[in-house]
Amino acid sequence: MKPASETLSGFFIILALASGGVAARRAAATRQSAGKPATAQAQVTFNRDIAPIVFRNCAGCHHPGEAGPFPLLTYVDVKTHGRQIALVTRKRLMPPWLPEPGQLKFADELRLSDEEIRTIQAWVDQGEIEGNPADLPRQPAFTTGWQLGKPDVIVRAAKPYLLLAGGSDSYWNFVFRTPVRRSQWLRAIEIRPGDKRLVHHANVLVDREQSGRRLEKAPGAGFGGMELVIESEAFDPDSHFLFWKPGSPPYVEPDGMALRLDRNTDLVLNTHFQPSGKPELVQPTLGLYFTDKPGTRHPILLQLDNDRMLDIPPGERTFLVSDDFILPVDASVLAIYPHAHYLGRDLLALATLPDGTKKTLIHIGNWDLNWQAVYRYEQPVDLPAGTTISMRFTYDNSAENIRNPNQPPKRVVAGNRASDEMAHLWLQVLPHESGDATLDPRIQIQEALALHHLQNNPEDFEAHYNLAALLQRKGELSGALLQFREAVRIRPDDPTANNALGAVLLAGGQIDGAIPHLNTALKGRPDYFDAHYNLGNALAAQGDFAGALAHFQAAVRLHPQDANAEANLGSALAETGNLKEARLHFARALEIDPKNELARENLEQLNRDSHDHPN
Amino acid sequence: MGRRWHTIRVVRLLLVVIVAAGLAPLASTALGAENTAFDLAGNPVDPLKSAGGKIVVLVFVRTDCPVSNRYAPTIQKLSDEHAAKVAFWLVYPSAVESAEVIRKHVREYGYKIPALRDPRHVLVKQSQVEITPEVAVFGIDRRLVYHGRIDNLYESVGRTRSVATTHELEDAISAALGGKSLPGDATHGVGCYISDLE
Repeated sequence: MKPASETLSGFFIILALASGGVAARRAAATRQSAGKPATAQAQVTFNRDIAPIVFRNCAGCHHPGEAGPFPLLTYVDVKTHGRQIALVTRKRLMPPWLPEPGQLKFADELRLSDEEIRTIQAWVDQGEIEGNPADLPRQPAFTTGWQLGKPDVIVRAAKPYLLLAGGSDSYWNFVFRTPVRRSQWLRAIEIRPGDKRLVHHANVLVDREQSGRRLEKAPGAGFGGMELVIESEAFDPDSHFLFWKPGSPPYVEPDGMALRLDRNTDLVLNTHFQPSGKPELVQPTLGLYFTDKPGTRHPILLQLDNDRMLDIPPGERTFLVSDDFILPVDASVLAIYPHAHYLGRDLLALATLPDGTKKTLIHIGNWDLNWQAVYRYEQPVDLPAGTTISMRFTYDNSAENIRNPNQPPKRVVAGNRASDEMAHLWLQVLPHESGDATLDPRIQIQEALALHHLQNNPEDFEAHYNLAALLQRKGELSGALLQFREAVRIRPDDPTANNALGAVLLAGGQIDGAIPHLNTALKGRPDYFDAHYNLGNALAAQGDFAGALAHFQAAVRLHPQDANAEANLGSALAETGNLKEARLHFARALEIDPKNELARENLEQLNRDSHDHPN
Repeated sequence: MGRRWHTIRVVRLLLVVIVAAGLAPLASTALGAENTAFDLAGNPVDPLKSAGGKIVVLVFVRTDCPVSNRYAPTIQKLSDEHAAKVAFWLVYPSAVESAEVIRKHVREYGYKIPALRDPRHVLVKQSQVEITPEVAVFGIDRRLVYHGRIDNLYESVGRTRSVATTHELEDAISAALGGKSLPGDATHGVGCYISDLE
């Protein structure tokens, strides 16, 4: 009987970005020319000068059902908040738009011109005159309900989250089981986070390995936490920003950049709430929009960080955290998302091209976590291989920083809680096609990133793990072994790393070495399909078919649609003398995958045997 | 839907009358009401006269001001803690927020404090407040002891501490209970301008 032989390697781990928002977009208002210059003499009226500004820049959020706490659609609406509007626009608190104006333009920039701000101020100073009704532009029309029309599928959070009336901000994660029966391509996800006035931002993480479910106390219960680690498939890394923030319509991926959703893919919605003053039940829904156009262009999320540098003494006002990454291939930057917590003050990202040209990718001079967002470039920013991407984030850990969560200030290091800090810069980049078909530029970027992170921090678990997975894929098993061993040294109990190490040892014939790691993996995660499968193989290789049988049975229970697990279960049954049942499982394997060689060969063998030795 | 429309029309009418009242004293007389605040049933109320020997705290809020809304748990808690000696009142200075809308607001935000409408800004002027939320504390002798912010949770609109580090309203209540005033000038609250309602 042919022994079961295939091994499953582990999965790639990416520290997924967690809190985010989508670049704000203007209301679907008629695009009128903004207010006329407000000279000292000219009379400013609502109908002629103010309404166009408000309709275009404010009404998108400030209309019923949206995030704005009051509507700004009529003269009375605007007048009853006139002084407040003048103040918050002068301070550029509203509309919320953090980046400084620069050479590179962002799509849907929501920024008032100095002229518009002066016009609003003049209108308030002059007594808020309504003006000639004939000058009033048409009120913007807003779509109610689903912004992209009826979704193909709607999923609702299993349980609502109770947001308390008072206290500080809270972070909650909802795990959505997606109801697709086969792999499908998503062109958009519309996030309806519940009462929009409560949600600062929300962000969907594609969870192909059910990492989120494992954090729930009960299925559908959700779990707390500001930042998440989600495992993703080795060579299908996260590549899309799926964010919601007030006023932002859902983003539709361009043709060829659809996102794959598989049968067991979960969508984890990471949500940042602000208490409203009364208790609120929040139960978000997601609308899924499919396309039959598969993803053919594969962007990648590139993460710069330097957590080891993040060790900010109390009282320090300008603490710099930097990181510099050299792009190994030609690529276009599509979007950018800088992220820090409450001590972040000045966030800068630069690109230095090989010829020395510098481009400011983004500069936020007055960082505010509450209005963080993903910013998409109006035009992709082309960067040649050899470009240095630089992150320069400055932190203020003094008592004068009123957002400082520690009063008096104390030492702050990197971490996932709101009172910890982060220095992360994510870029969505689309690598250019290389002439060499054997070189996948995504893999080149992944490898360069893993090496880069290890240079920053030799104790970076994810980087060791990811580098190992990449080496394994290239067939460099000894290198992979070394890196997986490092990952397990750093986190001795980590199920994923132990399984991967076990799998590589197994593939290299080191059965005795593999078994303890596979057992460790199962101790940490008893329903770990891969580890059951691999341990079954390891035991079978040692001739312990009874032991193998139990693990293949567990594997089949966990993944009933896996042809290899069925074929191996059949093999173990045959080895332990249960030919009748073995036959059923070989048949089942072939039913799932008619091309499954192991099942076919073993079934043929069984048929020959029964022919030679009829009972 | 029809009923809601009706409410808005009534409110607009009221606005017109108020403007007229400002211009011509006769119109005010025609309304038949002296300068006063009202309870939600429309009866004139002077919270200082009905204090019954307690210190009086007026809390100025509006239903659509996110900042004053966020203070609801703090305000209710302070009122509960000092119920024996301090009478808290919510004051809605908006002329357009109807009693019905205010009742709903009080219920939703869990307030157990009585609410007043102050469409003519009688209490606003008496309390020297400009913003929602701001508070005014009156001693037993009905003298204004403190007016200004509740605490320093907000530094400005959009800039919030994780927790307040000064507690002016609590300090003012303590001072008033001891028969004292707070030294120094009041710091205004952060939130929505009451003058925007005029």
